[in-house]
Amino acid sequence: MKNLTHIWFIALKDLKLFVTDKTAMFFFVAFPFLFILLFNTMMSGIGAEDERITLHVLTRDDSGTYSQMLLEAYETTEESKLDPDDHSPIIIWLKDIDYATAKQQVEDKTLSGFVAFPKGFSADIETFKNEILAGEKPLHFINLDSQLEVIVDPDNTDQQIALNGVANIIATQMNAMQATMKSTALLADDPTDAINTFFQQLNTGQWAKDLPSVNYQTTIVGDVEAGNPANYVIPGYLVMFTFFAALQGGAQIVQQRQNNTLERMLTSSVSKEAILGGTFLGIFLRGLLQITIFWTLGSLVFNIDLGIAPAAVIIISVLMVLMSSACALMLATLIKTERAADGIATLTALLLAPLGGCWWPLFITPKWMQFIAKITPHAWANNGFNKLMVFGADFSSVVPEMIALLCFAIGFGTIAVLRFRTSSIQ
Amino acid sequence: MPDEFLIAKELHKSFSEIKAVNGVSFSINRGEIFGLLGPNGAGKTTTIRMLATVLQPDSGEVTIGGYSTHQNAPKARSLIGVCPQDLALYEELSAIDNLVFFGRMSGLDGKEAKEQADINLRLMGLEDRAKGKIAKFSGGMKRRINLAVALMGTPEMLFLDEPTVGIDPQSRNSIYEVIENLRDKGMTILYTTHYMEEASRLCKRVAIIDGGQMIAMDTPTALKSQIGDPDKITLEDVFLHYTGRSLRD
Ligand SMILES: Nc1ncnc2c1ncn2[C@@H]1O[C@H](COP(=O)(O)OP(=O)(O)OP(=O)(O)O)[C@@H](O)[C@H]1O
Ligand SMILES: [Mg+2]
Repeated sequence: MKNLTHIWFIALKDLKLFVTDKTAMFFFVAFPFLFILLFNTMMSGIGAEDERITLHVLTRDDSGTYSQMLLEAYETTEESKLDPDDHSPIIIWLKDIDYATAKQQVEDKTLSGFVAFPKGFSADIETFKNEILAGEKPLHFINLDSQLEVIVDPDNTDQQIALNGVANIIATQMNAMQATMKSTALLADDPTDAINTFFQQLNTGQWAKDLPSVNYQTTIVGDVEAGNPANYVIPGYLVMFTFFAALQGGAQIVQQRQNNTLERMLTSSVSKEAILGGTFLGIFLRGLLQITIFWTLGSLVFNIDLGIAPAAVIIISVLMVLMSSACALMLATLIKTERAADGIATLTALLLAPLGGCWWPLFITPKWMQFIAKITPHAWANNGFNKLMVFGADFSSVVPEMIALLCFAIGFGTIAVLRFRTSSIQ
Repeated sequence: MPDEFLIAKELHKSFSEIKAVNGVSFSINRGEIFGLLGPNGAGKTTTIRMLATVLQPDSGEVTIGGYSTHQNAPKARSLIGVCPQDLALYEELSAIDNLVFFGRMSGLDGKEAKEQADINLRLMGLEDRAKGKIAKFSGGMKRRINLAVALMGTPEMLFLDEPTVGIDPQSRNSIYEVIENLRDKGMTILYTTHYMEEASRLCKRVAIIDGGQMIAMDTPTALKSQIGDPDKITLEDVFLHYTGRSLRD
């Protein structure tokens, strides 16, 4: 009990020191936003806000029918008819060039990317139709998700995100349609009529208009806010600066060891454990304060979107702070002098930030870099944020990132506790 | 038989090859101001840090108020207040915040800490500056706050390591008065200083320590009589007599 009140008051004191330290507040709270402002502008290009994104699609299906119909339905025919308020993309059907040429153009960077319907797409659907009509239950769905191909310039994140979104929507729609047909076939007395009606709609492209296809598409592309680089710029800086601030907090402990306040605490009735716990909590609370400011300003000023699982974003942020605080404590117990601690804190923070994807999103870097990045806790945090806020992933898909951050935190914390136990203040 | 509040027996402490404290023994009676005198590097601060349970002695024993600092450090700590030679304050916090914080660390609850902080600030004549940041204080004011913090938690014994170093005669005198006042209320005090007139004025007994060893220990008058006429000789003469005139590190 006494330990707990000590821990709390030590933490509170450290928080007070942080909040009253104008330089620290500037450096760890205001300064990051200058960076964010700068990078946000750089990454979004000029006037991206008002610009409609243009997406390309093509089909490798020579036999025509279904994929042609689909594209006809998707294609933007009259740009002027698009609702100026929603930012649904302009979709252009590449009819004049074939797949190989388009691919070459992407490689040459004259085309930013496209979604391609595979060869045999229409034949697949035909087979599917016949199987159903024959009353055989299809054992598998044709999985368009894996068959649709997205070819995109790796440097163009907006396109990457948007095209993946489009491919997903088409796949989802096709799957939904198959499911409906299957269930109709199973339920109806005479399924033939129902099925024929469906395929008629498919042939005329009618279904694509009837299904909430266009809306659906807008929602999803809108959901991931392809046009808002703040969705990866802000998390990147959040990770960098919470880690940085925590390590500086660690350096401050070393400073307290040198300015005798730690010694003074030891001569009062405070246990070593309470000092360690209080210091840890102090750094942790500072981090929470930082992320609160980051997310609040991010939402208000930069209009960031936390995705479909905001709880996961919060949990990853908190785990990131936990990991950073543990790392700071480890630093404080390993290093003797203030100057060394300061230097090592700064160096570590500045080295791990770009490596861990804080300065540019990891998903635009080569595979080997993404692999190396995994040694940094930053990369796990950034990947988690990117998945949630850029690619619209759900809670369960970032559980590995959460576990990784927790493991880093436990690892650092254990070293700190072991070191602190054996060290005596000299 | 006087009531011995603190007993130090055969204390030893080395830092690599430096023997900072080399077999120091003494005891301090309850309600007594005991002076520890010695040139720079004599081992005064090291001794105090061992008594205050911050530093583990290589060998030797300390009991404070009947509690061994080795076996029952928390109990011993609850009896003491330390005013370290180097300021131990949070420069970026206000005077009152420092006092309240260390008060809470010594086990006071919120209300007690606040009350004691007010009393101690008034004692040091700094009640007007309670909300001022330590960093903006003069050297003398910082020293007084440093002492005020040591008083938080109503300790029974104080370790004062050169509490008046670097401050003007006015501040110094006010500190003397505070200390005499505390003594009159029964506080036991260990006092180190380089100012001999300070030791003469305050201390009932003094010990002279040099090179980590105790060379002499007695009342100031008795020490003076050992080398001449106590009316003509000052404590400074005694000090120089025992420690020589060569410069220390
Ligand atoms: N943490 C330490 N590490 C290494 N050596 C130390 C340490 N603390 C003290 N010493 C050495 O021990 C010796 C005694 O130092 P101490 O600080 O106890 O002297 P002092 O009597 O308080 O001196 P002063 O009057 O200058 O304050 C000195 O030689 C000093 O260099
Ligand atoms: Mg000293």
